[in-house]
Amino acid sequence: MNENVPVNQTTKQPRDAANWAKSGENLKVGELPREATNLNVEGRRVVGPLEGFGQLWQKTYRVRLSGTSVTPTEVVKVWKEHFPEFQPPSNRFYPSVAGVQPGEVVMINAMTPGGPVSTGVMVLYSDEESFTLMTPQGHPESGWVTFSAFEEDGVTVAQVQSLARANDPIYEMAFRLIGASMQEQIWTHVLTSLARHYDVQGAVSVQKTCVDPKLQWSGFKNLRHNAQIITLLYTLGTPFRWVFSRGKKA
Amino acid sequence: MAASQLEASVRHEKDASVIDLKGEINSFAEATLNTAYEEATQNDAKVVVLNFKDVGYMNSTGIALIVGLLAQARKSHRELRVFGLTDHYLQIFEITRLVDFMSIHQDEKSALV
Repeated sequence: MNENVPVNQTTKQPRDAANWAKSGENLKVGELPREATNLNVEGRRVVGPLEGFGQLWQKTYRVRLSGTSVTPTEVVKVWKEHFPEFQPPSNRFYPSVAGVQPGEVVMINAMTPGGPVSTGVMVLYSDEESFTLMTPQGHPESGWVTFSAFEEDGVTVAQVQSLARANDPIYEMAFRLIGASMQEQIWTHVLTSLARHYDVQGAVSVQKTCVDPKLQWSGFKNLRHNAQIITLLYTLGTPFRWVFSRGKKA
Repeated sequence: MAASQLEASVRHEKDASVIDLKGEINSFAEATLNTAYEEATQNDAKVVVLNFKDVGYMNSTGIALIVGLLAQARKSHRELRVFGLTDHYLQIFEITRLVDFMSIHQDEKSALV
C-alpha cells in the first residue's frame, strides 16, 4: 500500500530537479502551425512502460560520430534544436515554442500503413546530454524514448533508447506485423540524419531486449483512446465538417 | 561535472532483502543495480526493498533501470518496495506511473511489514 508520503523531507532540491517535467496529467497543447492536426493529446495523461498491453521491449540504436570533434553536449543541443528535421518525411513533429523543455508537448502527425495518426509526446526529462519523450494515452506505444550522447573510446556516440510496449491489442498486432520494423527504420533514419549533419556516414547498430514477454490484458480497454482509430474517424469526417461549416457561413 | 558512482549494499532481513542505494542513478548505475538485485534475490526473498534515502541524483536512464528491476521482480513474482523518497523523487515516480506498480513507504520499518 502506498502511504501518505513525502517520506524523506529535505529542503535542498537535487540537481536533477529542473530536468524533470512537473506533472504528467492533463497535457496541454500550445499553438500549432495551421497544417498540424491537434488530436489525441489535449487533456490526456502520459503512460509509462509498465502500463499498456503488449510485450515490453527495450531497443537501443547507436551511431558512432567518428572523425568529428563534436562533444556529447553539442550533439544533444543540435538534436533538440533540429529534432523535427531529423525525422523521416512521413513523421511530422511539432514542438512547442519553448522547444524540447521538461513538461512541453511535441505534437506528431504521422502517416502509417494503417492511415494517418495524430498523437504527441511529452518531454519527461531534459538535460545537457539527454532528453526523454513520454507517450500519452492512445499513442501506439506506452513508455518513453531517451535520446542521448556520450563518449566511448574517444568517439562521441549518439543513442536512441526506447522502453515501451504497445498500448492496446490493435497496436500490438500492428507492431508484430509491420510496426516494429517500421519503428526501427524511423530511429535508424533519425540517427543517420543526425550523423549526416556532422558529415559522418555512420552505420546504426540496433540491440533489442524483450524485458517482459507477457501481454497485459488489463490494457485491453486502452482501445478506447486509440489515436489511429480516432484520427481515421476524424479524417473521414472532414468533408462533412467542411459542408457543415459552409452551411453555417451561408 | 563528473558523475559519482552508485553504491549499493544488500541486507537480508527476515522476509525481505533491502538494497541501500547511495549516489547517482544514471547510465553508469546499471551493473551495480543488477548485481545488487541478484544478490538480494539469492536467498529467494519474495520482497525486495529499495532504500532511496541517500540517492542524490537520478536521470531518465536511471528511472528506466528501476523499471527494469520492477520487470524482473514481476517476472519472478517478487514484490518491489521503496522507501526514503524525497518529494522530488516521489513526484517522478508519480509522473512515470511507477507508484501504480510498486509500494512506496515512509520508512524501512513500514516497508518491511
